Amino acid sequence: MRFRFPAAGFVLALGLVAAAPVWAHHSFAAEYDSKELITLKGVITKVEWTNPHIYIYIDVKDANGEVTNWALEGYPPNTLKRTGMSRADLKTGDEITITAYKAKDGTNTGAGREITFTDGTKKFAGPIGQ
Amino acid sequence: MRRCLLNPIFSVAAVALLCAALTPADSAQEYQAGNAAASKLPPNPKPMPRTAGGKPDLSGTWQAGGVSIFGEPGAPPLHPLPPAPARPPARQPIPYQDWADAKRKTFTVLDDPTSKCFLPGVPRIVGMPMPMEIVQTSGEVVILYESFRAWRRIPLNAKLEHPNDLTPTWMGDSVGRWQGDTLVVDVTGFNDKTWLGGMGTIHSEKLHVVERYKPLNYDSILYEATVEDPGALTKPWVTGSVLRRPIDVRVEEYECIENNPDNEHIQKAMELEKQKAGK
Repeated sequence: MRFRFPAAGFVLALGLVAAAPVWAHHSFAAEYDSKELITLKGVITKVEWTNPHIYIYIDVKDANGEVTNWALEGYPPNTLKRTGMSRADLKTGDEITITAYKAKDGTNTGAGREITFTDGTKKFAGPIGQ
Repeated sequence: MRRCLLNPIFSVAAVALLCAALTPADSAQEYQAGNAAASKLPPNPKPMPRTAGGKPDLSGTWQAGGVSIFGEPGAPPLHPLPPAPARPPARQPIPYQDWADAKRKTFTVLDDPTSKCFLPGVPRIVGMPMPMEIVQTSGEVVILYESFRAWRRIPLNAKLEHPNDLTPTWMGDSVGRWQGDTLVVDVTGFNDKTWLGGMGTIHSEKLHVVERYKPLNYDSILYEATVEDPGALTKPWVTGSVLRRPIDVRVEEYECIENNPDNEHIQKAMELEKQKAGK
């Protein structure tokens, strides 16, 4: 082969030009506000382990005891599997804390980012805001 | 950007951070994080395997990007890859003819065919952040893509002759041949319904793509696509990426249409924004 292996810093930067969308099939910025990262603590009521994205539904109780159900979108199932989260990690009835970028449509929907489980384990549910 | 890439005084981390500031957040952060771990490794010295007939054997699973191979910002991937030994062609704007440039600006993200789970076309599908599997025989190469459950049959013939009964399709018709160690694939017979890449990147049915798959080492293929379209572009446009051989990954099912309410949410968000703007 004729090419030479370049220096480490050069190699490191190579991927910067190899852009690939974090979400393969739709715009993040049109749907979610990357400047509004909220933290929600709630109980899982439903998990849709579906393509093109998973949805985690949680009941969040406010200071007055009022409960609101939130829908949080995440990576596709195969991506989660490859980054270390399985369907079994998300059980109905379990409590989680999740950071999420709020949806721009005014509903209780968000793009889930990082989940903290009750044992302190953290896993990414979806991409960083763009 | 080029100076940023080449300046030797920067440490590895500084180069990554500086470049990250100059490039779209997703790819920069993914790569920065992933290769913070991978950079400790040298590029793989193992060459691409060869078939019994002496051609490079590209068989296996490949992927151009995504958090599963590059990792999250601040968190390396589960299976860090050694760095790739080359880089893809620098990104250039698509040289549109005036009519196409005007038309493409009328689109919104809701018009993106992939947002409705339609096939992405070529070369867009290659950059999707999901794996693809190359199955190679002496007579043809088949590529099975996880994204959008797409597949391509690439019969090999020295003259790159296409069938003479083509009707326009989303993925076009592919034929290939070996040019030295590079697999050259000629793709034509496209419809005009796909986008080449980003927002509103339309094309005509005259789209003609020549792809080059050049083996670099065991876990890297340099992918380049020359995109010609006398119906919409003023000159050829070159794009590409480095395909990596991800560790412990196989192509699995991706049924995009299963649960896809995103466009509904985006539509609502757009209406709200219009209301706020008093329109």
